Amino acid sequence: MKTIIVISWRNVWRNKPRSLTILLAIAVGLWGGIFATSISAGMMKQRFTSSIETQVSHLQVHNPKFLKDDNIRYGILRADQIERVLAQDSSVKAFSSRTMVNGMIATATLTKGVRILGINPVQEAATTRLSTTVISGTYLTAGGRNPVLIGKKLADKLRLKPGSRIILTFTDVEGEIVSASFRVQGIIRTTHSMLDETQVYVRQRDLQTLTGDESIINEIAVLMHNIDQVNPAVEALRKQFPESEIRFWGQISPDLLYMNEMAGATMMVLLVIIMLALAFGLLNTMMMTVFERTRELGMLMDVGMNKVKVFSMILLETTFLTITGALAGGILSGITIYITSHTGIDFSGVGGNTLSDYGISAVVYPELFPGFAENIVLLVLLTSVLSALYPAMKALKLRPSEAIR
Amino acid sequence: MKVIRTHDLSKTYNHLVVPVKALVNVNLEISEGEFTAIVGPSGSGKTTLLNMLGGLDQPTSGKIFIDDTEITGMKESRLIDFRLRNIGFVFQSYNLIPVLTAIENVSFIMLLQNYPKDKMEKRARELLEQVGLADKADVRPQKLSGGQQQRVAVARALASNPRFVLADEPTANLDTQSAFNLLDIMLRLNREENITLLFSTHDQRVIDRARRVITLVDGSIVEDQHFEK
Repeated sequence: MKTIIVISWRNVWRNKPRSLTILLAIAVGLWGGIFATSISAGMMKQRFTSSIETQVSHLQVHNPKFLKDDNIRYGILRADQIERVLAQDSSVKAFSSRTMVNGMIATATLTKGVRILGINPVQEAATTRLSTTVISGTYLTAGGRNPVLIGKKLADKLRLKPGSRIILTFTDVEGEIVSASFRVQGIIRTTHSMLDETQVYVRQRDLQTLTGDESIINEIAVLMHNIDQVNPAVEALRKQFPESEIRFWGQISPDLLYMNEMAGATMMVLLVIIMLALAFGLLNTMMMTVFERTRELGMLMDVGMNKVKVFSMILLETTFLTITGALAGGILSGITIYITSHTGIDFSGVGGNTLSDYGISAVVYPELFPGFAENIVLLVLLTSVLSALYPAMKALKLRPSEAIR
Repeated sequence: MKVIRTHDLSKTYNHLVVPVKALVNVNLEISEGEFTAIVGPSGSGKTTLLNMLGGLDQPTSGKIFIDDTEITGMKESRLIDFRLRNIGFVFQSYNLIPVLTAIENVSFIMLLQNYPKDKMEKRARELLEQVGLADKADVRPQKLSGGQQQRVAVARALASNPRFVLADEPTANLDTQSAFNLLDIMLRLNREENITLLFSTHDQRVIDRARRVITLVDGSIVEDQHFEK
């Protein structure tokens, strides 16, 4: 077998320009596919992380009625007990209880519908990135009367800046309309521009006081140390608090779950298409090789090289070509991904700012989907075998006496 | 001892609608140690006969025996193995493996036979020495002259210790000096090692040195001459 390997390897380099051309095609094709995939994976991860860390968290607790009728009066039952359980659970990294109500924000000249989130600033800062998204003014603090954080988009529309006064109007737990004056303490910009336009954050204590129920909590968002701990935590909470709706991130935001499951598969399809195109190039090269070497292959069979060995030789030649090209493409991809995963790729110059509408930053950090490398190896091997089959079969069909004529 | 025997060997090629009889009832016996030339005009059936004897093609009718083994009708896979162990081939256009050096080309047949590695290299060197190319062992075919390549081909043909060597027009592409050198080597191997050699040739230089000359015309043996040399 060693000799067959040696012959196959040397045969690859018999026609250097031709071999180098196909090697380059494989390398560049694979590099393009892998790099595009890694950019997509980087975007998906950013979207996922951003969604988890700015809004969804790993799991959320609600009163089931609140999910059907978005009314502040449907607070979580035994919320204090749930908070105690979460505080004692070592797998929980942080949690944030929120009081939520839909209402209107008004300035002297403009009015707009918003969702008002009453948060505990300390809990929220530990659970989400909210405190890090302040671009002007400051994050919510314990001091001061009725501070509010608003998104940059909303601030621009309402022409607000830190220190500006606004009126928030909403209904309390009894259904009565309540209005209160708030002062803009900070302006935030998250990677979710839609949220930046539709959500405002106030202190939970202030909102609870205004709604007439000083203990009402509508949502508890929980961040785990590790995503693998989510399912056990959901199960445990469901057992302990059956009256509450406990949902993991995939149930809260099905598009995240779908995106996670589909993104890898979609990119794999892209790579399969690329490899399929390359397979035709390889097939063409190997067919030329077989036709050019008809006499030589015939001679090999004449002198006693059996069909298995002839087949193996063609298969090995194709595999060497593919693997060498794939290795070059892999190394190129590895270097490119390694560098860009540190520096990031700035898409802001090509309309990348619109990415933030989808929760993705304009600077993308490429990375590979888990298990992607293994799939690439399998795909490369499959491509080489598929490309080799037809030429190898052709070689086997040569009749020795005719081949050497 | 008869190494090759044929019995009413015939081959008909179906070229389009007109069948072409390449061999007609050829009965032939080749003994061990013979140096035989098969001669005849183009299209007389020389190459067809060699292909049949070498198991490269199957006859339309008749039988071929190598020693006592009938190779007609033998399965392809068995035939390949039979060729590997019993028949050496020398081709008109050398047909060496271009990516292997001279010694690797000679060793190749032994590798296919799973020859022990230590003995293989020793024998390959001996064979190259016998054909006068010991100093070209590590040179690839494209850097050898035609005559040298054909000598490597002869060494390769002998590497498996075959029962006989078939050579199809071995001197056709060689200049006079190279052809004489090759013939000298083959004659010496025939005499000293008792190797059975069977040529198809047009070359008078080969015919003059052969100890037996079989003449084919239109696929039939018309003359079979033995010479004392």
